[in-house]
Amino acid sequence: MGFYIFTYACLAVCLATVVWRVRRQLTLPVHLRWEIYPVQHEPAGKAAYGGSYMEELNWWEKKRERSPVNEILYMAPEILLMRGLWKENRSLWRFSFPFHLGLYLMPAALVLLLTSAVLTLLGFAEDGIVAAIVEKLIVAAGWSGVLAGAAGSLGMLVRRLTDREMRAYATVADYFNLLLILMFFICALLALIAADPLPGAARSYVMGLLTAGTAVPGYAPGQSLPGALTIVLGSLLMAYIPLTHMSHMFMKYFLYHRVKWDDEPNRPGSPLESAVKKNLEYRPTWKAGHVDADGKKTWRDIAAPAPKEIK
Amino acid sequence: MKTLLKPSEISRAAGRLCRIGPGELAPLPPPYEDFNATVPKPLNEDKIKNIEASLDDTLAIGIPKPATKEEEEELIRRFLSGLRKLFERENNWTFLRQLTLSLEHCARCQTCSDACPVFEMSGRQEIYRPIFRSEVLRRVCKKYLTPGGKMTAKWTGDIDLNWTAIARLAELSYRCSLCRRCASVCPIGVDNGLIAHEIRKLFSQEMGIAPKELHEKGTVLHLRAGSSTGMNPLAAKDSVEFIQEEMEEITGCPVEIPWDREGADILLIHNAGEMLAWPENVGAFAILFQAAGLSWTLSSETAGYDAVNYGLWYDDVQLSRVALRHADIARRLKVNKIVVGECGHAHKALIETSDRLLTGKLNIPRESALVTLENIVMSGKLSFDPQKNDFPVTLHDPCNYVRSMGIVEPQRRILRRIAPRFREMTPHGVDNYCCGGGSGFAIMSGYNFTDWRNLVSSRKKFLQILQAFENEPPQTPRYVCAPCSNCKGAIRDIIGYYKAEERSRLYYGGLVELIVNALDGMKKPIIQFGEEPSWQ
Repeated sequence: MGFYIFTYACLAVCLATVVWRVRRQLTLPVHLRWEIYPVQHEPAGKAAYGGSYMEELNWWEKKRERSPVNEILYMAPEILLMRGLWKENRSLWRFSFPFHLGLYLMPAALVLLLTSAVLTLLGFAEDGIVAAIVEKLIVAAGWSGVLAGAAGSLGMLVRRLTDREMRAYATVADYFNLLLILMFFICALLALIAADPLPGAARSYVMGLLTAGTAVPGYAPGQSLPGALTIVLGSLLMAYIPLTHMSHMFMKYFLYHRVKWDDEPNRPGSPLESAVKKNLEYRPTWKAGHVDADGKKTWRDIAAPAPKEIK
Repeated sequence: MKTLLKPSEISRAAGRLCRIGPGELAPLPPPYEDFNATVPKPLNEDKIKNIEASLDDTLAIGIPKPATKEEEEELIRRFLSGLRKLFERENNWTFLRQLTLSLEHCARCQTCSDACPVFEMSGRQEIYRPIFRSEVLRRVCKKYLTPGGKMTAKWTGDIDLNWTAIARLAELSYRCSLCRRCASVCPIGVDNGLIAHEIRKLFSQEMGIAPKELHEKGTVLHLRAGSSTGMNPLAAKDSVEFIQEEMEEITGCPVEIPWDREGADILLIHNAGEMLAWPENVGAFAILFQAAGLSWTLSSETAGYDAVNYGLWYDDVQLSRVALRHADIARRLKVNKIVVGECGHAHKALIETSDRLLTGKLNIPRESALVTLENIVMSGKLSFDPQKNDFPVTLHDPCNYVRSMGIVEPQRRILRRIAPRFREMTPHGVDNYCCGGGSGFAIMSGYNFTDWRNLVSSRKKFLQILQAFENEPPQTPRYVCAPCSNCKGAIRDIIGYYKAEERSRLYYGGLVELIVNALDGMKKPIIQFGEEPSWQ
């Protein structure tokens, strides 16, 4: 039961951290525009060379064209294949891509394991076609993810240790993160090779997680050392990754959609204009003389009249 | 191979962190090899004995050294106080999201390094690496703002905060031209240019520390006298009267430049530097707008005739003040839109960044002059003779038009129509390189900063320009079209510094001049190559 409690606790930390990070971004005030072109939701013709609606005469009189399809067509290879890194830093991509592929395939395998467990609980026949497909996908995702992740994390660690430019900026935490991930993948690989190639124990563990250990009375988690370490390290990683800079795996959404591609114009009477008006009511406390802030005056007060220095 | 400087060394006591040795800068091709061993002129040690000058071979701000230990401690306290404010919505709602995202998610993969022209051209001096200053700020934030940060510093990257480190960081924020090329290549979306911008802001808004060209002689003078050039409204009108006469010699007929015409369709705001340094640019707009029959006006109100907004580079409060002033002038003139002249940062400041500062009646529509010009050229109302521009032309892309605003094609469609020998630089468009004068560098000239700019930050642009014209015969005049006042300033200085007019027959100017140069019916060309007219 200890394993289950540990995984539950790690999952709780993971969810709480993700919710905290996302909520913080969602509740931040509207910021000044700072986009970078190409902005991929421009129609394909403009996105291809980095053009914007500001290239149009009297653009504010025209209906804005946005292309969510174009955005998806850009983001899919960016997320799945790391196109940006391929284009700009190919020598690192060789390690980073398998590393990230491994990290993507682990949650994918977990989702498949959960699906398999739910199917079993719902009474689907274990030798039925749906269950068989899920089983095969579990094996494929598990093995390929572990192999890619092990090779990628080892490569990333070696690269960080041997590349003098990366080494000069690496912190103890950077090495620890890579070592932790590498250890997880190595343990998972050993577990697959030595004890659980299909992986039946993993399925039982996930079933146990879903049912608080009641549905698989004959199964005790962590029967092999690599298997036990895989559960512990995997659970730890689930909690740890969102706490670190590696949260860029999901926070990249905000970096791209809320900053890099946030080109929404402030139209009169729009909700955006209301948000701007609210911002102008903040009361800054900057201390430099020319700012003329005292914690009582609003941004609007400070920006609108002639500043102290020119009175 | 020398050991790489680490971010933690910013607080080390002794000597300058970086000195560029002869031959370390990226090499220039013939006939400029004689500059390959040139380094910035040494700082005058007598002049800087009371100035913090421990970063590198130049100075952008010139912060006075604290006179006492107490003063030094107070400066450290104020820095930390300002640092906290960067993360408060009351104080930094303007850039809080961008800052937190960029500080929290960098993987230190170094993909940004090769994108930075300053880092590359300096011979990869470590302090100019895009993440060097970001990593300093990141570590200081973690150690001094995070609960338990001092205990975990060895884990997350230790750094000591002392006055030397703070003074170096202030200077270092002015070794990045905020071109944001690094941000455009970052796979995660981290923006090191933004971090440099936020460091500048902390120093300005909390500690009152900024280069005098940007603050006292920049935004403060702009709001007080009417222009960062120091021109008051009367002087501006005098300059324009002179320009009007000059233009009449070119057109051979009267040219009207309207002032303060209420209810005009367009309020045109130039960078006032054009009136003094490149009057033909202001004149060319007048010729073209008049020929196209546009309803337009200039404003003679304080700040209404100068589109610059240096606040964009270092201070959100000053940015807001200038933007609100511009918008209010347009509101009172009852114009339908503001058209911003050929000035990249003024475009970004007024059209894009300030978009979320202007509400209600101040939210006047704002448009790029490049778009207005394209409409005039392509409308078919005017007749052009491209053969008058029968000389090699290349286009410099100001970062603020392309990477920051996505205004890429209008200027190209114009050039393809009126400049038959137009060719691109490599790379161009949103992948362009900064002129080296971005973020205020073009107007900063204290100490030996101009030297540093010409040798380091503008070097990549110089190489690009030379490459664009490399197959042209030696005697052919070459025109660098730079539709931005600050970029023109930087390119003018490159040409002068490297003697490129004599050695490569390089000339420069704006876009509207090329348009008017090809306009049918002109008595004289508006573009000259030295004393030589561009057409007879």
